Amino acid sequence: MDFSWLLGAKKQDPRSDSSYGEIAPTVSSIIGGENIDSSRLQQLSGVAPGQLEFLDLEGEELSDLPGSRTLLPSRGWSDDLCYGTGATYLLGLGIGGAYGLSEGLRTAPADASSRLRLNYVLNSVTKRGPYLGNSAGVLALTYNVINSSLDSYRGKHDDLNSLFAGALSGAIFRSTHGIRPMMISAGLMTLVSGAWCGLKRVVISD
Amino acid sequence: MADHSRDPCPVVILNDFGGAFAMGAIGGTIWHGIKGFRNSPIGERRIGAISAIKARAPVVGGNFGVWGGLFSTFDCAVKGIRRKEDPFNAIIAGFFTGGALAVRGGWKHMRGSAIGCACLLAIFEGVGIMMQRYMAWQSKPIAPMIPESSSSGAALAA
Repeated sequence: MDFSWLLGAKKQDPRSDSSYGEIAPTVSSIIGGENIDSSRLQQLSGVAPGQLEFLDLEGEELSDLPGSRTLLPSRGWSDDLCYGTGATYLLGLGIGGAYGLSEGLRTAPADASSRLRLNYVLNSVTKRGPYLGNSAGVLALTYNVINSSLDSYRGKHDDLNSLFAGALSGAIFRSTHGIRPMMISAGLMTLVSGAWCGLKRVVISD
Repeated sequence: MADHSRDPCPVVILNDFGGAFAMGAIGGTIWHGIKGFRNSPIGERRIGAISAIKARAPVVGGNFGVWGGLFSTFDCAVKGIRRKEDPFNAIIAGFFTGGALAVRGGWKHMRGSAIGCACLLAIFEGVGIMMQRYMAWQSKPIAPMIPESSSSGAALAA
């Protein structure tokens, strides 16, 4: 029975296709003749400009905002948002998970069976990891939204934008806990975004 | 049928993680904001909405993000193994995602979740292909009108 619809057909060697002809054109066979025909060099050379339509890949352009170069090539605010949030979320999830793992291994009851022990450790990982990941992800999401809005409002990107976006997202994150925690969180986030700006300058050193 | 608006495989996982998380967090903010507002007594509706958002929206975002990121990871793995792009990639990736997310619920739960997820993805892909066919059918090339011959034109004019 043929399962090529599910598992994929065998790859055909393009060289075995007879339509390619036996003799590959060489330089002398192309330009060695007495009359050089431009259409033999390039098949589209006879086409007048304007007659030809090119495929337009509009979404591929990189962001041209001054100063907006980041570690990954970015096509604009949606790329910044997705990559920034994704990377921060994964980082938070990883750190929280590792902390939960160590905590679970440390505090698991000594006389527990291996099955109970595994469950205990897994519970600890899934308690710490998602909590830290979610918090970091929400912070990064707010930061990126504010940062991109500021960029588009000011028409350029610099470190001041990042610092301000960090402070604002930190303040919003703790906005229901009172003024003092809000200030602490804003200060911490400003420090973090400052560190990020510094890292970016070190890595992109041109 | 490669999609040129998306990045190549290993990095696109990060993009999908972030996109799914953002979608879940923003959607969860709207959803739980309305829910918290409606479920609070009058006079505490605003604070009720805010605390519901703070408690639940990140969790919704996290759930969406983990689903999207796992799906993207499995999609990339399946693409790398099969070396082709077709709807079966998404269905196989959905099967593995459903299974991986239910891994702590036991063997039967895992099987059921994997099959359910694969069916869901199959429906998505099927609907996507139907939409694509329909769009292509709508904008199909139409033969230009053949100009009438002079004799019949004269006959009509007469």
